Amino acid sequence: MPSLKDIKTQINSVGSTKKITSAMKMVAASKLRRSQEKAEAARPYSSRLEEMLSSLASSAASGEGIIKLLTGTGNDQNYIVVPVSADRGLCGGFNSSINRETFKLVKSLEGNGKIVQLMPVGKKSRDFFNRVMKDQIIESFVDLNVSSTGYESALNISNKLQELYFDGKFDKCILVFNKFKSAISQEVTQQQLIPLDVSNSEKEEEKENSSNAIYDYEPDEETILKDLLPKNVSIQIFKVLLESDAGEQGARMAAMDNATRNAGEMIDSLTLKYNRTRQAFITKELIEIISGAESI
Amino acid sequence: MATISFDLVSPENLVFNDEVGTIIVPGKDGDLGILPGHSKVMSSLRPGRVMVYSEDKNLIKSFFVSGGFAEINPEKCIVLAESVVEVNSLEKTSIEKEIQELENKEGKELEEQLSVAKAKLEAINVNYYDKI
Repeated sequence: MPSLKDIKTQINSVGSTKKITSAMKMVAASKLRRSQEKAEAARPYSSRLEEMLSSLASSAASGEGIIKLLTGTGNDQNYIVVPVSADRGLCGGFNSSINRETFKLVKSLEGNGKIVQLMPVGKKSRDFFNRVMKDQIIESFVDLNVSSTGYESALNISNKLQELYFDGKFDKCILVFNKFKSAISQEVTQQQLIPLDVSNSEKEEEKENSSNAIYDYEPDEETILKDLLPKNVSIQIFKVLLESDAGEQGARMAAMDNATRNAGEMIDSLTLKYNRTRQAFITKELIEIISGAESI
Repeated sequence: MATISFDLVSPENLVFNDEVGTIIVPGKDGDLGILPGHSKVMSSLRPGRVMVYSEDKNLIKSFFVSGGFAEINPEKCIVLAESVVEVNSLEKTSIEKEIQELENKEGKELEEQLSVAKAKLEAINVNYYDKI
């Protein structure tokens, strides 16, 4: 039987853990609000851009130059997969679900005879894929801090991707990230970034709406499209980074909330054990005294 | 007199959103003056000033944009810009320093940065369009 002192130390250590986790929960909650605001603020831009793009997409005829971002290279052989994880742990299944999903995706693509490369974003996925698929990583991005650096961080990724794309290093690019559904739930999502996927049913509707509107284009459709497409890639990445950041804070908040509750339960059961043990000691001592007195 | 609704959007936030009288945007092939009832136009922008005027033609605000797009229809004008700064908050000395630093280096990306920085400087120095 553990001594009273042992149980006391255990209670104290669980208590301080509880303090830490509840502090982390508070921090995550306030960060979540900030990231959510950021994600919200970025929405008008990306939705406008998408609208513009879908009204222009139909006019893209040739598959040359920058337009390739829209029409594709015509091949379907080389893939690049970009898992977007967090830089830090202690946020439940947030990172591991990204890594698992990416791993599955890579394996299934490879099963179909494709060549897959990886470009992890965030420390947790970089470290994971460094262990399991080191030679497939071509570049990794860590310490992005999207909530403080903002759009710049997305630009870096997008520039690198486009450079590789126009060098003919890959035909398709798929992002794997946590989509922010609510403060407590995230959904692992795959999104094809290059070539641009305009076959969405949502966008079809928009296309119909905007096809009623006949725009004049200045200088001309193709030039605008050439400007618009690279920007769209960056803005999509930016959006994903923001969503993932908000999701991370949400996941951490939920995980820490659970941990705090578990610590509370543990303290309760330990306190009960402590009291029982104390009582047992007292009873034992009493018995000793009484039986001692009786024997005289 | 009628007004036109004007949105100025950067990737990070919605910078400006109000009913205004006139807007001047730096189109790629030349500046566009936009009044209520303007025909439908989609234009890409060069680095320069976006000027916003009230109904009685007083300058409300002027922004510097480093490029982007404008979508215009009779009721609404939307400008999507990659970076937006108010012209008043730009500092001449720091931009001049930036230009000098960029001029000493070379590279394709830097050229673009340089032209943006030069346009910034111009945006501070010029004062046409202040009164229309």
